[in-house]
Amino acid sequence: MNRRDFLQYSSLIPLASVVPSAFAGTQQGQRPDNIVVMVELKGGNDGLNTLIPFRDAHYFRARPSIAVKNGIPLKNNMAMNPYLKALMPLWQEGKMAWIQGVGYANPSRSHFHSIDVWETASTRLGEDKGWLSRVLPARPRSVNGIVLGDNNLGPMSGANSSSVAMEDPATFLRQTKYLNKRNFSASNDPLRHMLNVQNQINMAANQLGKIHYGKRSPVRFPTSRFGRKLALVTQMIINGMDTPVYKVSLEGFDTHASQTDQHNNLMNHLGGGLKAFSDAMKRAGLWNNVTVITYSEFGRRVAENNSGGTDHGSAAAHFAIGGRVRGGIHGRPPSLAPQHLKDGDLVHTVDFRAVYATLAQRCWRRPNPWNKQHQPIPFV
Amino acid sequence: MGRLSFSDTRHLVSRTALGQQWGGVKALEGKTRAEAVKILLSPVVPKTPPPPRLTPYANMQRMSMQNGSGKKQARRIMMRESTILKRWWMVHLLQNKTPVNERMTLFWHNHFTSSLEKVEQPKLMYSQNKLLRDNAMGNFRTLLHKIARDPAMLIYLDGSENVKGSPNENFARELLELFTLGRGHYNENDIKAAAIAFTGWGVDRHGNYVYDAKKHDFRPVTFMGRKGKFTGDQIIDIILEKPRTAEYIAEKFWHEFVSNARPDPRFIKTWGAAFKKSNYNINTLYSSVLNSEAFWSPKYRGTIVKSPIDLLVGTLRSLPFPKLPDTELVHISQLLGQDLFDPPTVKGWAGGNNWIDTQTLLVRTSLLNKLTRHSQASAKMQSYLPKTSGEQVIKWLLPLSPVLPLPSTPGKRRMVRALMLDPVFQLK
Repeated sequence: MNRRDFLQYSSLIPLASVVPSAFAGTQQGQRPDNIVVMVELKGGNDGLNTLIPFRDAHYFRARPSIAVKNGIPLKNNMAMNPYLKALMPLWQEGKMAWIQGVGYANPSRSHFHSIDVWETASTRLGEDKGWLSRVLPARPRSVNGIVLGDNNLGPMSGANSSSVAMEDPATFLRQTKYLNKRNFSASNDPLRHMLNVQNQINMAANQLGKIHYGKRSPVRFPTSRFGRKLALVTQMIINGMDTPVYKVSLEGFDTHASQTDQHNNLMNHLGGGLKAFSDAMKRAGLWNNVTVITYSEFGRRVAENNSGGTDHGSAAAHFAIGGRVRGGIHGRPPSLAPQHLKDGDLVHTVDFRAVYATLAQRCWRRPNPWNKQHQPIPFV
Repeated sequence: MGRLSFSDTRHLVSRTALGQQWGGVKALEGKTRAEAVKILLSPVVPKTPPPPRLTPYANMQRMSMQNGSGKKQARRIMMRESTILKRWWMVHLLQNKTPVNERMTLFWHNHFTSSLEKVEQPKLMYSQNKLLRDNAMGNFRTLLHKIARDPAMLIYLDGSENVKGSPNENFARELLELFTLGRGHYNENDIKAAAIAFTGWGVDRHGNYVYDAKKHDFRPVTFMGRKGKFTGDQIIDIILEKPRTAEYIAEKFWHEFVSNARPDPRFIKTWGAAFKKSNYNINTLYSSVLNSEAFWSPKYRGTIVKSPIDLLVGTLRSLPFPKLPDTELVHISQLLGQDLFDPPTVKGWAGGNNWIDTQTLLVRTSLLNKLTRHSQASAKMQSYLPKTSGEQVIKWLLPLSPVLPLPSTPGKRRMVRALMLDPVFQLK
C-alpha cells in the first residue's frame, strides 16, 4: 500500500486515522490470552511416516520401499520424521505433544467428505457450520477468526462466525476501500450472504489497518508460502489483533505416488515454519499465549501401493506446540497388525472431537459441545 | 402460452449464455417459451480459434524423466504453456459466437474436473477441453465413456496407477461420488469392485489411452449387487442403468440454471426421467429444465450468484468497455476464484454462495469499480450503449430491483456504474 492509497483508505475510516488509539484499550482491541493456530495439512497427511512406529515389524512389512528408517527416536518406541528436526528443541523442552490415532468411526476416505467432517465436527450430511463457530461465542464487533492464504473459512464458517479469509492483509486492505459501506435490505439468501460478508470485511479492515503499520518480529521466517503465512499470523498476534484463532494450511499431502521426497519436503516446510513461529512468539513474550495444532482430513493406508505412495486411509497422529502444551505422546497407538486393521486402515483410538474439546475447555475455557461423548485430553 | 417479456428473455439469456448481450435479449422478446428455448438450444458446430502450440506429451515426459535440468525445463515449459492455454480459453470465452455451447463446456469442465496442477501436461488438458466442447450438448453416455479413457483424466485420477494386484481407487471413487451417483448411493465395496474393473487402463508413452491386458485384474467382482468379470465400460453402463445417475445430473442442472437453493425433488424426478428415457441426450435434459415452471418461477429469479466467469466474461460481452489484456483477464479470474483448467479440487468449484467470501467480494468490487471508473475510454462507451430508457437499462442489467439508491443526477454512464456496483449485479 502506498501513501496515496493509505490516505484514500483512511479517509473512509476517519476515526482510525485521526485518533489512531481509538480502538486501544477497548474490549475489541484486546489480544485474547489464548490464541490457537490451526495448521491444516491438505490432502491427507501420512501419519505413520510423521510419527513413526520404528520398532514395529508390521510397519516395515507394510512399507518395504517407503518406511522411514532414520526417524528421530522420541519415546514409547516412536520416532519423529527426521525432516521435522527443527522442532526437536521444542520436544526437549516438553512443549511438543503428539496425539496418536486421531480419527473417527466409520471414516470417510473422500477428501471432501472427510474434511467436511473435520471442519464441522459432524458426520452428518449437509452440516454447514464450522466447529469453531459452535465453540467460540459470536462477537459481532470483533474478528473471531482469520484464515490466511485460502478463501475458504472451513472450520470458521457459519452465518454469524465473524471470521475473514484472505490471501494476505496488504491485499485485503488495498481492496476494502472500494467496498460498499452502506447497509441494504437483503431479500434473498445470496443477498443476505453478501451483506454479511460485506460487514465482516469492513470490521476486519478497521483492525487490520492499524496492525498493518505495526511492529514486525525480528525472527526470520522461511521464504516458502507457508513460512510467509506464519510470518503474517505473527505480525497480527504481536500487534494485538483481537482474534482467538488463525488458520493456515500446507498443501500437497495427497501422496499417491513416489511419496518419499514429496513428504520429506513437506515435513521440512512444516518444521522450519513452526520453529520460526515459536521463536517469534518467545521473542515477543507470547509463547505462553499460543497453541499450534495440526490436522488433516485423514491419514493414509498402512500398506504402500505399487507407485511408491499411499492411498487414502483413516486415523493419524497429530501434534501441538506452545508454551502451555504438555509435551509427550498422548493417546494409544493404533495397532498395525493386519488382523487389527479395518479394510487395510488403522482403527482410530482418539476421536478428533476430543482434540477440539481440549482446545475449547483447556485453551479458551469454553463449554465442550461434545461433553457427552468426548472428554479433553491433557495435552495442554 | 404467453409471450416472453423483456425481463423474461433477459432471464433466459443471462442463465444460459455468457452475459446478456442487448441484441440477443431483444431478439427473443415476444416469442413463446418453447420457441425461445428451441432457438437457444439449436445445435451448433463450435468453432474455436486455432489451438496454441503445445509441447507433445512424449517430449515433456522425456524431459521430466531426467534429473536436474530436464525436470526444471519441463516445469518451465509447463508453466509457460499453462498460461498460454488459459489465455486461449479466456479469449474464446469472450469472443465465441456459440455462448450456450461454451457455457456447457465450462459446466462439464466443472463436472469432469482435471487440473493442470496435477496433470502437468497442457497438451492433454487442451484435448480434454476439446472433448468436453465437442460433446457439451451431445450425449452424456458417450461423454462418460470418453472421459473415462481421456488421458488427462487418467493422469488426474491416477488411472494409470490402477493395476492388477494394487488397485488405485481414485478414479472409481470419483466416478461414483462426483460423476454419476453422488454420495449415499453406493458403498465402499462398489468402489473397490469398480477399481478392479478399470485396472489396466492407462496412458501410453505418446500420451494416448491404452488398455494393457497384462495389468488388468480379471477376477470376478460384485458391483451394485451384480457378480461378474466386468470391464470398465460395463461398470459405466451399469451405473447408467440407475435412475439416480440421471437425477444426479438433473440436480447439477438445477444448481447451474435454476437456483442456488435446494432442488425441488418433483422437478428432479421429471427431468431425470426424461434424461434417462432419451438415453442421456443432454439437449433433452436442458430443454426440460428451460421449459419447466421452476426455471421461470419469480421465486428463483436473481437467486444464483454469478460465477467469476459470468461476472468477468459476461460483463465484458454485454457492455462496451475497453478491452483488457488477456493476461490480466486470466489473472483476475484467478483472484476471483475460478482459475480455468485449475479447479481447486476434484469436486470442481464449490459455486453458489461460496463464490462470494471476504476475499472474493473485494476483488469483485475492485474489478467493477475499475471498469466503470471515469476515463476517456469509458466516456466514448456512452455512444455504444443501447438507446433506451433508464427503466429498461435497469431491467437489462439487474435480475431484481437495485438495493442501493440510484444516482440522482442523470446520465447513462453514471446509471450503468451505479447498477454494476449494486449488490444485485452479483446475481443472475
